[in-house]
Amino acid sequence: MIQRHQRIVFWCLVGCIVLMGVLLAVGRQRGRQRIESLAADQTPLDAPTAMAETVTLDLANDDDGTITPASRQIALPEEPNARARALIDHLIAEYALPGSPHELAPGAAVAEVFLLPLPLVGYTTDSTSSATKDGGFRPTVPVASSDPDPLQAKQPGGELAVIDLHSTFVNQHPSGVEVESLTLRSILGTLHANLPQIEQVRFLVDGQARETLAGHADLLRTYPAVDTTSSGTGASQGQSN
Amino acid sequence: MMTAMGRAQTGPAAAQGQADPRPSAPVVPTPIPLNRKLIVLDPAHGGIDSGSQISDSTVEKDVTLALAYRLRSLLTARGFSVVMTRDADGPTEPGAAGGALTLDDRAGIANHAHAVACLVIHATGSGTGVHVYRSELDATAGQPTLVPWLTAQAAWIPESQLLEKQVATAFARSEIALVASTASIRPMDSLSCPALVVELAPKGDDADSINDTDYQQHVALAIAGAMLFWQNEVQPPARFAAMGAAAGSTGSNDRTGAQR
Repeated sequence: MIQRHQRIVFWCLVGCIVLMGVLLAVGRQRGRQRIESLAADQTPLDAPTAMAETVTLDLANDDDGTITPASRQIALPEEPNARARALIDHLIAEYALPGSPHELAPGAAVAEVFLLPLPLVGYTTDSTSSATKDGGFRPTVPVASSDPDPLQAKQPGGELAVIDLHSTFVNQHPSGVEVESLTLRSILGTLHANLPQIEQVRFLVDGQARETLAGHADLLRTYPAVDTTSSGTGASQGQSN
Repeated sequence: MMTAMGRAQTGPAAAQGQADPRPSAPVVPTPIPLNRKLIVLDPAHGGIDSGSQISDSTVEKDVTLALAYRLRSLLTARGFSVVMTRDADGPTEPGAAGGALTLDDRAGIANHAHAVACLVIHATGSGTGVHVYRSELDATAGQPTLVPWLTAQAAWIPESQLLEKQVATAFARSEIALVASTASIRPMDSLSCPALVVELAPKGDDADSINDTDYQQHVALAIAGAMLFWQNEVQPPARFAAMGAAAGSTGSNDRTGAQR
């Protein structure tokens, strides 16, 4: 025969177990919701010291294949390389939001952006020149002025942007002529709208040249940074039926 | 004497642009040879490279090959010779013998053919109808003897524009929805022939409708019909001996007007 006080203790213990189970389930649910909200919001943190400014993001739309400009208030760093990288990070973060018309996987897309003054200048070891100064090195321009090679500045102060993409971003990018072209045109147009000194853009993936973005769009060529919105000169598109 | 002069003009010294005290003969641009009965089809992807996933059961490489087969049959029936950069799927294991061609290999095959048109065939699950793309490169006034590999298409841009119009007309006549645009797609910029990317999209909302044989036949018939007109329209650009002669860019409409 179980005594009365033992039954009371038993049921108290059962009640405590049930209560702890409920508290554990609620805690897990809250934790899951917090992680999901963090995963959905991929917007990069703004620079703590910079003031928010109005920037133009050229946003792609897969439904009609267009690029349209959109204004955003974003705090950007002052340094041009970091500024270019932050712009692209914000652009890709827009595409990672749920319901984006040009849906891309969330995550860091750009490892680094390098801005190089045009024309690109190399150095030879030709010590026979009278212009030799710094230890036998003579500055040279690798392309002749009459050469149609694009590595020439159109305006004084023109720059080449070398964008080093993460392979994780590239490997997750949707495959297709239009979707890949729209991503590149979106990046080019955004850089042109906010950093007009950038005249040309090259893409690398993990520091290496790569043939295509996801099997279609060319990543070996040098792209002009131009207005790529649907009304711009860089995007000609027609439709007939 | 004539032989010696001819050798002097075409020898290494002339090619390197060294100073020659004698008055040099004017450089006469020569037309690039073209086989008006030959068409290159490049069914994109293949083997380990499946391309895009169009639906749960359809990958891009299978659709491009199926459309290329249909197109080859229809073109052959119309008297064309067809060179295909691949006519099978290829090994699906990395590093297997006889592996898939690289994009540069495909461009090399096309450039050696001197074809009247090079059609790079792709497929997509987004949109409907057919998407046609030509190169984004700026047109040049002619083709230099030493052709830059990554911009070989530049001299052919005006012809590619005209080919795009010819194909667009054929699709409109066949009542096939068409989106025409420009894009930079490997290996199109390396092709020295009138070149287009023809991307087949589903017929309707169902992505698997891209496999509809009647639909594919309809599209292939329109393209084959356009090629019949195109073989008599195309005018190859001039080839210049010196690279600098072809350096200047020109508006494609101006050049087109001068040729036609």
